[in-house]
Amino acid sequence: MNRAYPEMLDLHNATVTGRADESVFERQQARMKWQQQQHQILFNENDHQVPIPSSCLIGNIKPDPGLLNGWPDFSDGCDDLFQPLMADQRILQRNSSSVSLSPKKRKNLENQKVLSEVNGIKGKKIKGSSNESSTETSTKEKSKVTETQKPDYIHVRARRGQATDSHSLAERVRREKISERMKYLQDLVPGCNKITGKAGMLDEIINYVQSLQKQVEFLSMKLATVHPRLDLDIDNLIMKEMFEVSAVSYSSEMVNSSYFQLNSLLEMGINPIDMLLRRSMGGTQVPETFCVSSCFNQIQPSVTWDGDLQNLYRMELHQDTIPYNHSQKFTGSYEGCNLKMEM
Amino acid sequence: MKSIIIVKLDDVIDCSTVDVLFLIIDLNLQESKMHDSSQLKKEFIKKWVQGLQICCSSKRQMSILERKRNIKLSADIALASAKNATTSWSKALISEAKKDREKNILVDNLLGHESKFMGAHQKVTSHNRIRSKKILRRSCGIGKRIKKMGYRRSDSPTCIAKRLVKKRTQVLKRLVPGGESMDEFSIITEALDYILSLRVQVDVMKNIVNATNLLN
Repeated sequence: MNRAYPEMLDLHNATVTGRADESVFERQQARMKWQQQQHQILFNENDHQVPIPSSCLIGNIKPDPGLLNGWPDFSDGCDDLFQPLMADQRILQRNSSSVSLSPKKRKNLENQKVLSEVNGIKGKKIKGSSNESSTETSTKEKSKVTETQKPDYIHVRARRGQATDSHSLAERVRREKISERMKYLQDLVPGCNKITGKAGMLDEIINYVQSLQKQVEFLSMKLATVHPRLDLDIDNLIMKEMFEVSAVSYSSEMVNSSYFQLNSLLEMGINPIDMLLRRSMGGTQVPETFCVSSCFNQIQPSVTWDGDLQNLYRMELHQDTIPYNHSQKFTGSYEGCNLKMEM
Repeated sequence: MKSIIIVKLDDVIDCSTVDVLFLIIDLNLQESKMHDSSQLKKEFIKKWVQGLQICCSSKRQMSILERKRNIKLSADIALASAKNATTSWSKALISEAKKDREKNILVDNLLGHESKFMGAHQKVTSHNRIRSKKILRRSCGIGKRIKKMGYRRSDSPTCIAKRLVKKRTQVLKRLVPGGESMDEFSIITEALDYILSLRVQVDVMKNIVNATNLLN
């Protein structure tokens, strides 16, 4: 409402003048007058026959935002138009203490069964700029949340027997949002598919997050223990590797271990598909790398892109059989490497 | 490609082997722009390399535990900054790190201008939020106590289920950085994002561990 208020005043700059000096009462009167005008316009446009006296609070019509799109004549100001409307309704409802017992009613224009039905009208909840203008009524339809094009509104339909005051409606929307997110989480966390119930799912999620965090701890510990050893012979390693790399030309005959290592390094943590693409574009410049990568993925198949890669690799194999030989060579060399490492 | 690597290696002679390793990876990642997770991986590695270089340059001799802490810290901050502070868990991680003076250097170096922009401001807001939450919780607690005095309904199955969920949500809030100040909906969204990026982190670290194993 706080947001809607200035807009409304802006809209009525023409009718309401000198708003700073006006008393509250006068302002409200002006607003009511304006609202009547709006209603008239509204109904003229729609050929709606139901007369709405301004005093009759039950008859306040809140047009369906979905319907708004169908009104070409309102296109210039329709966005601003309904925020004041809602604000007005609240004021009117507040003013009338006598009607406070009867529930506030609001209908869809779509329905066209205006006013006559008291029970079983489609309920609607408006959330947004005018914080909480509530609504009610139960339908037999399933409760459903639909996000309309306008972000300010959320439609809620209450089932029969469900509470329809604004708080429980809001709560229901919130719960549905949460459960939607939980579904995403369920897909994300392995082994969460079979579990029903929020508590069990949360348990699983917690376990997963914890295991991931512990994995990070463990891996960093491992890296920490690995580094010192590396530091000892940094210079040797680097010099050796550098010379070898600079000496090596990228031909398939070179299968020395350091070369293999470098290739494997190239493949770590990167997108091998990129390699593949480059290879398929630029001919057979780096077939070895690719083969090595495939070896690697067979060795440690936990990485996410493995599936895609292996599929691609297989496709590649069907296309030409030359890389396959390479890969065999490389697996051989890799085993040799392993042996060396074990020794 | 060969030439690029050689140039890079030439540049790097005076760095440690690990840095070489990272640089090679980094180099390859620069060329790969596929989907979201690989993009994140690339960002993460880039930042992590920077972070590790800063960590290593500050002290030459470190114990293993210290090393481990540094590595983990730099990985965490790299992850957070790779997320570009779009999520509140990454913001919380960074603001947490900013409290420490030593870590602060790292953060400043990794984030550059952005960190100065959001640093102090973020800290204050998160503090305030936590405090107000605490007050709110306390006042809620009073209300509950009165209610429970009146009639005991904690034995009903729905209540038990509710309590279970609440307890677990609180645990989850403790796990996700900065989760204390979130509501139930945003904690789940954040947990989603956090899990995804943790996965990226674990992936990258695993790969690097394997690479270093091969190097030896």
